[in-house]
Amino acid sequence: MNPLNSVGHREPRIDALLRVTGKAEYTADVKLPGMLYARLLRSPHPHARIKSIDISKAQALPGVRAILTKDNCDTVWSSGDSLGQRKLFNNPLRFTGEAVAAIAAVNRHVAEEAMSLIQVDYEVLPFVLDVDKAMEEGAPEIHPGGNLSPNNQRRREPQTYTRGNAAKGFTEADRVFESSFTSSHHNNAQLELRTSLAYWEGSKLTVYASTQGIVNCQRDIAKDLKLQEADVRVICHYMGGGFGNKNQSHDFDLFAALLAKEAKAPVKVEFTRKEDFVAVHGRWSSKQQYKIGVKNDGTLTAIQMVAKTGSGAYRKSSCDLSGTEIYQVPNLETSTTPIYTNTAVAANYRAPAYPQGVFGIESAIDDVAYALKIDPLEFRLKNMTRKFRDQTPYTSFGLEDCLRKGADSFGWKQRWKPVAGSGAGPLKRGAGMAMGMFGSALGRSSAVAKVDAKGNYSIHVGVTDCGTAAKTTMGLIAAEELGVPLNKVNVVWGDTDTCPYSVGESGSRTTVQTGDAVIQAVKDLKKKISEQGMPKGTDEVMVMVTTNPAQIQGASRQSFVAHFAEVEVNVETGNVKVTKFTAAHDSGRVVNPLTAESQVQGGSIQGIGMALHEELRYDQRSGQPLNAGYYGARIMTHMDAPQVDVLWVETEDPYGPFGAKTLGEPTIIPTVAAVANAIYNAIGVRMHDLPMTRERVLAALQGVKA
Amino acid sequence: MKSLRNVNPKSFQEAARTLAADPKAMAVGGGSDLLQLLKEHTIAPDTLVNLKAIGGQDKIETHGNTLSIGALATLDSISHHAEVRQKYAVLAEAAGQVATPQIRNAGTIAGNVMQRPWCWYYRNNFPCYKNGGNTCFSITGENDFHAIFGGGPSFIVHPSDTAPALVALGARFKIQGANGTREVAAADFFQPPTVNPAKENSLAAGEVLTEITIPAPAKGTRSTYLKILDREAWTHAVVGVAAVLEMDGAMCKSARVVLSGVAPIPWRVPAVEQILAGQRITEDLLVRAGEKAVEGARPLAKNAYKVPLLRASVKQALRTASGVSA
Repeated sequence: MNPLNSVGHREPRIDALLRVTGKAEYTADVKLPGMLYARLLRSPHPHARIKSIDISKAQALPGVRAILTKDNCDTVWSSGDSLGQRKLFNNPLRFTGEAVAAIAAVNRHVAEEAMSLIQVDYEVLPFVLDVDKAMEEGAPEIHPGGNLSPNNQRRREPQTYTRGNAAKGFTEADRVFESSFTSSHHNNAQLELRTSLAYWEGSKLTVYASTQGIVNCQRDIAKDLKLQEADVRVICHYMGGGFGNKNQSHDFDLFAALLAKEAKAPVKVEFTRKEDFVAVHGRWSSKQQYKIGVKNDGTLTAIQMVAKTGSGAYRKSSCDLSGTEIYQVPNLETSTTPIYTNTAVAANYRAPAYPQGVFGIESAIDDVAYALKIDPLEFRLKNMTRKFRDQTPYTSFGLEDCLRKGADSFGWKQRWKPVAGSGAGPLKRGAGMAMGMFGSALGRSSAVAKVDAKGNYSIHVGVTDCGTAAKTTMGLIAAEELGVPLNKVNVVWGDTDTCPYSVGESGSRTTVQTGDAVIQAVKDLKKKISEQGMPKGTDEVMVMVTTNPAQIQGASRQSFVAHFAEVEVNVETGNVKVTKFTAAHDSGRVVNPLTAESQVQGGSIQGIGMALHEELRYDQRSGQPLNAGYYGARIMTHMDAPQVDVLWVETEDPYGPFGAKTLGEPTIIPTVAAVANAIYNAIGVRMHDLPMTRERVLAALQGVKA
Repeated sequence: MKSLRNVNPKSFQEAARTLAADPKAMAVGGGSDLLQLLKEHTIAPDTLVNLKAIGGQDKIETHGNTLSIGALATLDSISHHAEVRQKYAVLAEAAGQVATPQIRNAGTIAGNVMQRPWCWYYRNNFPCYKNGGNTCFSITGENDFHAIFGGGPSFIVHPSDTAPALVALGARFKIQGANGTREVAAADFFQPPTVNPAKENSLAAGEVLTEITIPAPAKGTRSTYLKILDREAWTHAVVGVAAVLEMDGAMCKSARVVLSGVAPIPWRVPAVEQILAGQRITEDLLVRAGEKAVEGARPLAKNAYKVPLLRASVKQALRTASGVSA
């Protein structure tokens, strides 16, 4: 690849100093004169019908300014489920933690005291927490029509994919393997809590949101509050993480707006960490069964996956499972059935359908490789995808290099043990690896580019930068196209009044889609300057572009990844420690290696936490969550985080920008599976359930019931 | 959080009298546990008696042969105190492994030994024994982290890391009441749930723990605290072992071994102490000690893993404490 001037160089974030010195103003930091504070009263029951709510005592408490309940608010929160039907206040209540009332008061203490004064008469209903039990005859019906949750076409059916004929593929196989795996619901656990601050000026609403997409947030708020989009301004200058659960508008934005209207004052809604864990959403759980047909030489003949996923009390996302797409196999059948339960809602969390699905298929494949006495790396090199769905060529393809160069860098030959579980103990080491891919779609985005008489350039982009360094990335892309250093480009972001449309920082699309718009804007600006000359006096030359490239025909654009993990397992204490981790990524050309490495390290560490610790536990008899929060969920600490070595396999993708593809989400895709496979290599016992806790490792090793 | 009255006492006696006079008053030291319980509505006192206002109660000093630790000494100061590290390693190590640096900076030794249980039923305000109810939800519930010894009627595990260290060191607790003081051996301070399942210790209403004293260890004493966590920092002990060994070369003259994470009180294991006393530390002895430690364990449905974990942990802790590379 030809070296470039700005793109491809390690650049600190343009806001790094402000962030680390505490000067960056996050949404929770914003205070307005006369601002009220809001708290939410939430359901103590996993399933209950509200017979009556009495707010009179709370209303009478001095300092209480507004109270919303189902009795005076029937607003639909349309992004709250994929059918666009979920309300802010629902009856019946379908999970512990669902909103019952929202209260705005002069300070937090009064708001919390008012919560305790609201009297709710509940009719407690039978509930169900488990996806299998939810599908049994006579199970409590969580929504009318049954617990198989409908997709956004309102069809109650599994999501399926078929190519070839799996039954035929199994007859052609020399051996057929079957195995099953489960994964748990766990929370995104981003550092920044949910908060939203709203105020009205006449009919115009301003919301300081904590959002991954200011424009999506604006669109959704306008829709749900029946406003013109132009009358809704969304601002998010500094954002403290979301990992997929702060895209779109959320109920906290709508609560803030409605309470502010009622109270005629700015209102800030704040969720606690516990609310963050139970009342927003996390990654969907899964129960997966695999059947794999293979020739004795290791050639795959068929894969079948049948799975159930737990959507929680509302269906907010696909609840699908991915992973099998990474294999070249003529016969493939997958079927995933999303099911309602009376638990916290599941939706998008960094590569939503992937790490749990990849854990399943990559564990199952690992077993096949060991059974055939084939090195798992060689097995994957033999069977990895070469064409998308065995049919469509890739626009660029770095998977094989991710496997080969990743393995070399990691030291696969030295670290992987041909006999799993061998070694004396009690400390046993082992190595594992896994692979994955993630679509890097093209799509619509906008950018504004301008220059003043002094030659200062500005780029306006509708990004918020949810931690990915997106605004620095946009600056680098603009600087490259302009041929000026990064510090000559002023990036304007995070405010729908000053920034044009961007897709929202989900689907790992910002670099590609908004980056494409930035390039076009700069090209247009340069053209305009060449035609009109540079501006004079107080004039500016400005262009706004919207790019919406046609979807690629006859080729598939994907990012590829292979992760390699070495673990040390203490077979007496069940302790698992990741001792080496290498992440090889083909995300096309890397725009900013410094911040891209942070992405890979963050995703990998998050994946290790998912592998070893995290799940939301419920008391089975009461339906109450037991471990909501950072303490209970055992989120990774700095001391738990291994060094993550990042290896770039740079392909120059023809669709750009500058050859770049998607990165943010692929970073977690094979992590969990790599750790699981490393544990297998270390101890010789397969872990079938996530998280792979000490209890489960010891149970697997010692035959103790976990 | 509701509004509270704050009282700044000038002495422990004044604090005790205030607490005795007002059953809805609670003493607060570092506050790291109490504030959490307040915020989660687990407790609802009307008055907080701020023990830090007394001043000067955070000293760590030697008086003759006795180490004296003020009730308000922080866990951080104990973990870094040169003499504690040298002569009472088990205590320095236990204090240094509590929670996080922030909590160790705020949290006091008295607060740590009197910390309320971290059973998730108690902390989520289930109406259990600890919350004034008459049942223990863990028995038939999610009991991964509950007791395998001494359970019933409550099956919590005592959450303190320093408590087993203090019991192992033979510490004594000085207690101020409204009308006088008393002193109790650390081992007798903690009470099994059969005495009162709502409480973990014998501190009566209107009493305050003021000082902890520890006798000088016998010559040749070596000690350690092994804490098994579910991540590298900031969990309570899944299993913990406080081991204090009086060594003469490779010979163990006497031993005190107290466990955390396995019982509703710091759990002393005399059977382990007896097989160590007067014996040379060998791999075989350590294996037998590990076996002895788990004798009589009665796991619940989901915590049987603690049995092999404890067996291995006791072996490892004794190996470390003895300094013998058996």
